[in-house]
Parts: sequence; structure tokens; C-alpha cells
Amino acid sequence: MSDEHNVRGFKVLLDRAYHLDFHLWVKVSEGGSVRVGMDPLGLDTAGTLSQLEFAAAGTVVARGEPFGTLEAEKFVGPIRSPLSGMIVAVNAEVMSSPGICERDPYVDGWFVELMPFDFEGERDQLTEGTVTLVAAFAAKVDEYRRQGVLAE
Amino acid sequence: MTGSEPLRVVDFGDAAPLRSQTLWHAVAYGVSGGAAPTLSFVRPSDPYVSIGYHRRLDEVDLDTCTANDWPVYRRMIGGGPVYLDSGQLFFQITVPVKAAPAARRRALRWLLAPAIEAYHAVGIQAELDEHLEIVVGDRKICGYGAGQIGDAAIVAGNLIIDFDHDAAASILRAPTLTARDELAHLIRRYVAATPADPSTFKAAAIDAYAQAFELTPREGVLNPIERDRLDELDQRFLTQSWLEGQSRPDPVAWQVKIRAGVWMFAAADREAEVVVCFANDRVLRAHLQHAGFNGSRPSLEAALAGLTLAEAASTLDRSGPPGRSLANLITHADPGRSL
Repeated sequence: MSDEHNVRGFKVLLDRAYHLDFHLWVKVSEGGSVRVGMDPLGLDTAGTLSQLEFAAAGTVVARGEPFGTLEAEKFVGPIRSPLSGMIVAVNAEVMSSPGICERDPYVDGWFVELMPFDFEGERDQLTEGTVTLVAAFAAKVDEYRRQGVLAE
Repeated sequence: MTGSEPLRVVDFGDAAPLRSQTLWHAVAYGVSGGAAPTLSFVRPSDPYVSIGYHRRLDEVDLDTCTANDWPVYRRMIGGGPVYLDSGQLFFQITVPVKAAPAARRRALRWLLAPAIEAYHAVGIQAELDEHLEIVVGDRKICGYGAGQIGDAAIVAGNLIIDFDHDAAASILRAPTLTARDELAHLIRRYVAATPADPSTFKAAAIDAYAQAFELTPREGVLNPIERDRLDELDQRFLTQSWLEGQSRPDPVAWQVKIRAGVWMFAAADREAEVVVCFANDRVLRAHLQHAGFNGSRPSLEAALAGLTLAEAASTLDRSGPPGRSLANLITHADPGRSL
């Protein structure tokens, strides 16, 4: 099976987990840290990104609490952490040029690197595994289409 | 939000500059904490400058602000640096974030559509264009910013009864006199006042929001949580660290948006300087400087008019060594930031 799926028109990489409510992907890196970025569905619903800001490396964040802010369409909103942990790196490139996230959300467009405090304990909040992920992602797209959210 | 639920209406009247910001921020915390959806109004008693949450403070000409006694406050919602005074009536619609559509463009249309109805009710033929600007013709008539504060979504906009274009231009830092002149020109050309009666506009906005959201308007005041927040916000907004905001990477060039599709760009190096104004994302005017020009500048500037950024860069690149230097400078422009 391929590592990449097209789910209702959105590219979904299967080598990582997703927080489908926050529209973030989480990919385990070497040494136990995880990289976090925004999934293409989240980018689609956010609109054209104009500003990104992340808490500094060394900041401790709780799951569900903001680790940064995103501005699109003159609308500033929080980016909520999918896991509890400490930020160990931020992607300064995307703060300078948020458009990178739209062009390459899965590689160059990462947001922050986080050292999770309890990855295994909080993993049940994430969606992963080909069958489960594809079905859940498709359901989210369908839900948004029903609401007219993706019509523009 | 349906049926007999209330739309709290809070008219703060005239407020000092700081309070004209912190009052509605406090309301957002209240709505986040469970207060009813709220439509609020406020009119600043004196001029000041407000800068968007993410923006660099050095986008503001602080010398001009200091010379005029215009305080500068950083807000928690989006958009750029703006000049505010008593000629502008501000409205804020604040709702629980879960009530708003998940996609931002949808949410903004939903939150702004009643405001458009209010403009119509006072005889202003406003429309929300494809860039989500509130316009009459090609002129922007409302500046707004939006954001999520806690679990509340808020849009703050204005009815521009009287607009001081020169003051609005003067608060923006410009790298050269040419850029400053062009900035003032674009603001005069693309931002318009709509001198309607503010009381009639308020009444129309209350009706429009109540009807659109199926809520019953009720006059209200700040609740105890909001009053506590107000004190905290008053203090926070006066601190230098809040005003400075988080450190951000240095921009590669100077760029200012007047309205969607209308923007300016300026850049310089040791031998070249370029100032370009865009309207509808095409070159309106270009000002080129290069030590190597030998009489070709006027024709080259004229040749750029009407071109897209990419076409302008290509035209410069093909025009000889001075043009190539200018083309390199112009590659730093980012049309995406003009949205």
C-alpha cells in the first residue's frame, strides 16, 4: 500500500498521525521528538496564510492549549497543541514565508518540533493507521462539504 | 443560535483610546466564558494607532505618533497598522467560536453579511467583494480585523464617517519620500469615508445581526468577569512587551497593503532603488532609480504600467544591466501578502 493517499481531493500521508479536529499532523522523529504541521484540509479551511507565530523553543505546552497563532484573511486564531510536551524547535522559515506551508505542508511546511511528555498515553487522541485514518479523514471532508465549508 | 436567545447589545459610546480597544477585548473573554453573543459599539474620543496582533511595530512611524501624541496599542486580532479617531464608529460582533462556520472565509462572510445590510439601511451601497473587503465600487469603506479570543470569534469593523487620509498615511513607516507620497496617494484613492448617521447605522446593525443570527436584541453591560478582564487588559496593553509583540524575522523588503489587490513595494540596494504601486495586482506606477540609467528610465517606468509582478520582473530583466538589478530587487515582492 502506498504511503500517500488522495482522500476526497486532499493528499494524506500515511507515515504519521493526525489530530483531525486541530487539523495537525504529528510525525515521530529520531530521539523521540515529534514534528507537527498543518494538514491540507486545515490549510484549505484557514484561507491564505499571512502570518504564523510559534511559542519559543523551551516552552512547555499542554495538549489542547495554543502553541502558536495563525493569521489568514485578517483572522487571528490559535494553533492548539495535539500533545503535551516541550517545544524543542520552531520552523523560522515558515514564520517568514507562511506560503511554504501551502506549497509543502508535509515536509518544509512543518510548524514546531515537540518533545512529548507522554506520547503513548496521549496517542489515543490522534488518528493513524491506513484504514482508520483514510475513513476518518474522508468523514471530516464529507462533514465540511455538507456544511458548505469547502464550497469556496 | 436560534429562537429567543439574546443578542447582547453594548454601546460604549465615546471612549478614551485605550478603552476603545480593551472594552471589546473584555467582551470577547466574556463571550468565551458563556456570555451571550454580543454586538458592541465604541467611538474613540481621541486619535490613536492600533496594530494587528502579528505585525511588526516598526511598520508604524513611531516618530510621527509621538509628535502628534497618538498612542499605539497592539490588538489581539488581525490586520495591519491603522489610524483611528472620532470620525470612525467601531462595531464588534462577538459570538461563541462553535457557532461560526469552520472555514474562515465562510465565517467572515457570515459575520460581516449583517454589517453589509446595515450599510444598505443607511444608504451606502456596500458589498463584500471576492477578497472579503467591504467596498463601494473599488474603494474600501470599512477596515476590519478578526480573530479568536479564548473560545469567542470576533470581527471588529468601522463606519468611516470622516476619514483623515493624511493622518492614516502618516502613521505608516515609509522608506523613502517617493514611497510616502505614493502611500498617501493610494490611501486617498482607495479608501473612502461614508458619512452616514452613526445612530441610524447602529440601529440598523442591531436589527440586521439579530435577524441574521435569529437572536433577540437586549441592551447589556459588562459582566463581572469582563470588568476584571478589562482591568487586566488595560494594564497589559500599556506594557512595552505587549506593544513590541513577539520577535519576528526581518522582512526582506518594505511592503504595505492598502486594500486587497492594492499594495506597494519598495526595495533598494547599493546601486538601485525601486518603488512600485499595484492596483488589481497590476503595476499602477513604478519609480526606478539606478546609477547606470542613461535616459531610459522614463520609458522603462512607462513600460511596466499594467503588468503583473512576474511580467514586470521579466521586462526589467530583458532591459539591460540596470534593469536586471531592479528585477532582482522586485523578486522580493510577495503578491500573496497583498491579499
